[in-house]
Amino acid sequence: MKEDDVVSKRLLDELEVHGISRRDFIKYCATTAAILGLSEMEFTTKVAEALEKPTSKKQPVVWLEGLACAGCTISLSQVLNPPVSSIILDKISLRYHMTIMAAAGEVAEAARREAVKEGGYILVVEGAIPSANDRFWMHGGRPGREMVEEAAKNAMAVLAVGACSAYGGIPRACPAKGISVSDALKRAGINKPVINISTCPVHPDHLAGTLLYVLVTGKLPELDSKGRPAMYFGEVSMHDNCRRRAHFDAGEFLKDWNDPKQKNWCLLEKGCKGPMSYIDCTVRRWNDGISFCLDCGGLCQACGEPIFYDKVSPLYMADDETSKKIFAMRKTGQSKENS
Amino acid sequence: MAKKITIHPVTRIEGHLTIEVEVDNGKVVDAWSSGTMARGFEAMLTGKDPRDAPYVTSRFCGVCYSVHQLASARALDAAFGAKVPWGGNLIRNLVMGAEYIYDHVLHFYQLSALDYIDIMAVAEYKGKDKDLLAVKDKIVNLVKEKDTYPLTPRYKPDDFSVKDPDIVTSAVSHYIKALKMHAKARNMGAIWGGRTPHYQNIVVGGVTSYPDINQWARFRTMLDEQKKFVEEVYIPDVLAFGTGPLWPLATMGVGGGHYNYLSYGDFPKDPAWKDTVFPAGTIVGLNPANIKVEPVNTEKITESVKYAWYKENKPVHPYDGEQVFNLDKKEAYTFVKAPRYDGKPMEVGPLARMLVAKNPTLIDLVKKGAKPGAVARHASRAIETKLMVDACYNWLDQLLAEMTKPGFKIHDTEHWNPPESGMGAGFHEAPRGALGHWIKIKNKKIANYQAVVPSTWNASPRCEKGVRGQYEESLIGAPVPDPENPNNVVRIIRSFDPCLACAIHIIDPKTNEIRKFLIE
Repeated sequence: MKEDDVVSKRLLDELEVHGISRRDFIKYCATTAAILGLSEMEFTTKVAEALEKPTSKKQPVVWLEGLACAGCTISLSQVLNPPVSSIILDKISLRYHMTIMAAAGEVAEAARREAVKEGGYILVVEGAIPSANDRFWMHGGRPGREMVEEAAKNAMAVLAVGACSAYGGIPRACPAKGISVSDALKRAGINKPVINISTCPVHPDHLAGTLLYVLVTGKLPELDSKGRPAMYFGEVSMHDNCRRRAHFDAGEFLKDWNDPKQKNWCLLEKGCKGPMSYIDCTVRRWNDGISFCLDCGGLCQACGEPIFYDKVSPLYMADDETSKKIFAMRKTGQSKENS
Repeated sequence: MAKKITIHPVTRIEGHLTIEVEVDNGKVVDAWSSGTMARGFEAMLTGKDPRDAPYVTSRFCGVCYSVHQLASARALDAAFGAKVPWGGNLIRNLVMGAEYIYDHVLHFYQLSALDYIDIMAVAEYKGKDKDLLAVKDKIVNLVKEKDTYPLTPRYKPDDFSVKDPDIVTSAVSHYIKALKMHAKARNMGAIWGGRTPHYQNIVVGGVTSYPDINQWARFRTMLDEQKKFVEEVYIPDVLAFGTGPLWPLATMGVGGGHYNYLSYGDFPKDPAWKDTVFPAGTIVGLNPANIKVEPVNTEKITESVKYAWYKENKPVHPYDGEQVFNLDKKEAYTFVKAPRYDGKPMEVGPLARMLVAKNPTLIDLVKKGAKPGAVARHASRAIETKLMVDACYNWLDQLLAEMTKPGFKIHDTEHWNPPESGMGAGFHEAPRGALGHWIKIKNKKIANYQAVVPSTWNASPRCEKGVRGQYEESLIGAPVPDPENPNNVVRIIRSFDPCLACAIHIIDPKTNEIRKFLIE
């Protein structure tokens, strides 16, 4: 059998680029065909089709990282049920993700350009976009901002994961003046639905759940007033859902982390921003329910809110307006902010 | 004639890195390392409550999360005059121990392994192992489904790529298993850290997480599972690769560099810090037959900005760092500054630590002919993961004894509020290497903040004397027979476990000046 009967020259050239030599490819097809019980011819044709143009039904995903720390990528790998390997290999077609993909350099860039050309992918953006000067984030000699704009145009939806891409986060306060993805797209006149999955880093459940919701329904989930999935964010504050709430009502505030008696007392005096935080952490918790910020004696810093970080600093002080109001409410016996 | 190759982006690392190499006669003759993203955390911290710093600087990087939280808290401990109780240090050690185990396992499997294996060899697996057959089915199915992202595209495998179907299939199955294991290691750290990435419990004066015995038992049980994976899978894999198919790369010493090493030393085993898991020391011009380790003097650290996008300044100690952007500087090619120790570029990280420690397992490999380089870095990382697992058991024993005593303490409550003024330095051996934070406090606020981090040392550009940084030097002589597929270049760079978001720092006490400059 002549190779060229079943495999186009274009494909073989492309395979070379992708790291598979002509000889290797035919050998590989022969072996694999035997494994699958297909005729060599049949399988070679199938593989040829597969590699010429991916046509699997898996949802393509393009993941870009801007002014980011890759913490949200690590959050993605925190998803244990279903295992992240199954999400990456079975549920989505991850066309571009700098921290995960095998390819580097031009080979990686070609894969991104190809995916963007095809369109219809979910665009995930981790990290903010610099607004002070494009030079704060350059990608292959071009502003990274342009790469996000290009990718957003052909995307079916945009997920802004983590505080930085949802609202600017810490980079907003930095010299780079990071802005959110939705603001960056607005400035560029691009109209695309953006889902903000805030918190620093993104909660693995929020990320996986939103992704699965889109995969299962083909629709975007309902959003709250801040553009976040309403199934995770919304009306009830951390403070109102806090298991330390009874101690707040009783006026018991943690003063000394060494005192086991105070271990479960209210953290507001230490600077907890629970009353400003409208998110489900107290019930969902983190790391498969093992713990979360308040359970390790740490504070909520409202990392899922647009006010994070510049407007919640100083982090370990309680002299902001909301805290003062909450303390005053306690004294007057008013139990809930909305009541 | 020499040919210039640009690799952008270098993937499977943290952050935005461009590597440029000049190749002549199939070998790298010159190299440039360039970080292309900056946020400017330290400049932003000026004027903030110092207690914000551990929380904020943790966000330098979400892969090696909380290493900055710890270094920053230690700088604050020094500046506030806080004395961390032994209970607090034990918990700091344990949560960072969990971070180490996760980070090193992630690096070997998720960030590096694909450089060394020809993943398509899985299709030729002919063994009968059920798990491995499942792996083969998975990969073959991906091909059948016409979608092998993100495992392809890739650089074309070369002579050093492992193509043995048994080894490759087992490596791929461990790749998948490792994903689960390092997620579990992060969960282990979250027992006291609250959540990952970015712990919530490390603050000036100690930690906020008062432990209970159930948490202790949970940590220990989870550690047992990690120990089993490290001893039965990770270390055997690294040894099988390093002394097997990759032995030629090891004996060639591909990725060597300057052979100067620095370790600050870290992880106290006792309250007096008499003994640490990693000893401190420097090695200049390594002679493997006779390793000479000198003590560390952090006063000898300076940073040069000659080839970085900052306003020209002479090399200064981090306490005195005062830089302003110059994005149009002609000779500059990176946001990464050039730290030097006694004027010399140093490598930091697992290889530096294991050489400074004269670790017997590493020394044994060196005696057998492995030269310090890319492969030795992977080996050192595996060796010290085991040291860290063992240390965690020791710390757990000590913690149980401490926490069941009356008056057990985790935090120095007396020194919680910021002092009027002060200064302090905090050092930490992060998974990627020697890390230092420096803080100056005035009027209870941050007056100056600076961090010199592992990837700044390793990814450094040339200094004012024109001497290359460690990544750059380590690439010299690397075989690149095929410029389209520079496998060895990315192998060498990834062996350092780059973290570029960490590496890039901007410091300017007058934030307005930066804005002014940018508008101009």
